[in-house]
Amino acid sequence: MPLIQIEDLFVAYGSPPHAVLAGINLEIEEGEFVCVLGQTGCGKSTLLRLILGSEQPLRGRILVDGREHRQPDRTRGYVPQKYSLFPDKTVLDNITFGPEVGEFGLLARLTPAFYRRRKHLRAQAFEYISRIGLREGDARKYPDQLSGGMQQRVAIAQALMTKPRILLMDEAFSALDPGTRRGMQKLIRELWKATGTTILFVTHNTDEALRLGTRVIVLAKETVDQGSRVALDLTVPAPCADEEIPSLVRRLERVSEACAL
Amino acid sequence: MSELSGMPTMSAGFLLIHAKPHRAWAATLSWFLFAAGIAAYLWVAQARHRDNPEDRVTPTVVQMAAGMYNAVTQPAEEDEAAPAASGFYHRVSHSMLWKDTRATSRRFLISLALLFPAVLLGLHMGLFPYAGTFFLRFVLFFDKIVALSLLPILFIAFGIDELSKIMLIVIGVTPTIILDSFNLTRAVPPEQVVKAFTLGAGDFDVAYRVVLKQIAPRVLNSIRLNLKAVMLFLFAGEMIASTDGLAYRIALLRRHMGMDVIIPYVLWVAFLLFLVDLAMRTVNRKLHPWFHEA
Repeated sequence: MPLIQIEDLFVAYGSPPHAVLAGINLEIEEGEFVCVLGQTGCGKSTLLRLILGSEQPLRGRILVDGREHRQPDRTRGYVPQKYSLFPDKTVLDNITFGPEVGEFGLLARLTPAFYRRRKHLRAQAFEYISRIGLREGDARKYPDQLSGGMQQRVAIAQALMTKPRILLMDEAFSALDPGTRRGMQKLIRELWKATGTTILFVTHNTDEALRLGTRVIVLAKETVDQGSRVALDLTVPAPCADEEIPSLVRRLERVSEACAL
Repeated sequence: MSELSGMPTMSAGFLLIHAKPHRAWAATLSWFLFAAGIAAYLWVAQARHRDNPEDRVTPTVVQMAAGMYNAVTQPAEEDEAAPAASGFYHRVSHSMLWKDTRATSRRFLISLALLFPAVLLGLHMGLFPYAGTFFLRFVLFFDKIVALSLLPILFIAFGIDELSKIMLIVIGVTPTIILDSFNLTRAVPPEQVVKAFTLGAGDFDVAYRVVLKQIAPRVLNSIRLNLKAVMLFLFAGEMIASTDGLAYRIALLRRHMGMDVIIPYVLWVAFLLFLVDLAMRTVNRKLHPWFHEA
């Protein structure tokens, strides 16, 4: 059974309803790295929010591990483009937030067991901190004391600490400069290989999608009135060799252009 | 630099947007209006006392110092006089000023404590849609009621004891704090809430571990900005129906034209509010080092 199964998904907003996604059917297997491409407004982020469970479709259904989810939970990690870290918590507290909140209720924090467990979690968090290329001294910093790239590294570590089966990333690297972006692409690819987490990565950058994904899905509209559908579902040779990228980029761009309105 | 004063000279564009006042100039300018106000008062007081040595409208500094000394060391008129042999500490702790300050502070602190449930209500209204729909319209309506117009009703319903004065403050300030907390909660990016859920947080974890912590410094600022409103309602209550308190004393002394005590009392109240504000700012900074005011 596929890990994520999307059946005849239809989403519309506004009154009268304006279709955003129409007739999306997808199956995503465990361990895949799927990049979702498409032009602005084609419904990429909406698709992600539907899988998260923070929005519900008008028609169709999404099954994660065989069941529908009506609310976000820890089976699906999330790294948005902005506001990915809690500003009131240090890097260390951001990374350990997931396991702490999952294991200890509001008042359980007052028990000695919490502090014993916290020590263990902090040791684990320090491992992640070195893995994502931050220094130990950064652990005590607040998010606004970090660069955009560092913040997204911490957000990835934060999401992976709870060991989600699926990691949903919404244009997570879009606000980064090209150099930092390359570093982040390498990092997420390494973490994906090491953890085997299924990743759904929304981007509007064709090159990025091909360098990262094992599969690239292009969402596009056929007419203005219709919602987006899957215009192309491409399995990418992994790892995608540099010389193959230009021809694949051209192919994806041809699809996008053909569907562009 | 001016060689005589050691103070830098003002540049030609000192009135422009891009002007950067030197520290010494900034300090001088920020105290200027205080100095000018004091000088103007002293000049008026001196002129009035030259015309009428019995003038009571603008007491001299010596008269105000004497009046304040009595307020600090002598009991209120309605209390028993301190024994002649009593020490300075005993006289101060039984003095009029101490008695009034203690009475007003107690009411003020009780009212501040009652604002915290208002913060929690605003938080829940902002996060939980049913709580929002249930309370919002009512709080919005309540916010428009002029609290002082309820004063007679409060005195009839709760009597002229402490409760009516505290209720006046609560009714006057609570809706503002609820609505502020509600708006601050709604302003937390939805990504943060979704993120917390994906990390395993439950509804109350999101409310108390994520959102409340993020809005706390702004809520404290909002309470700080409402301190004057709290004091205003408290003073209204004390002036109308009370037997002690700073505002009661000011109202009482007004009948005797006791400006030599009223003016120091007014300055004392401003000083106390300044201290509370400073304390709240310091606590806010210490508790929320991550928060930077815009």
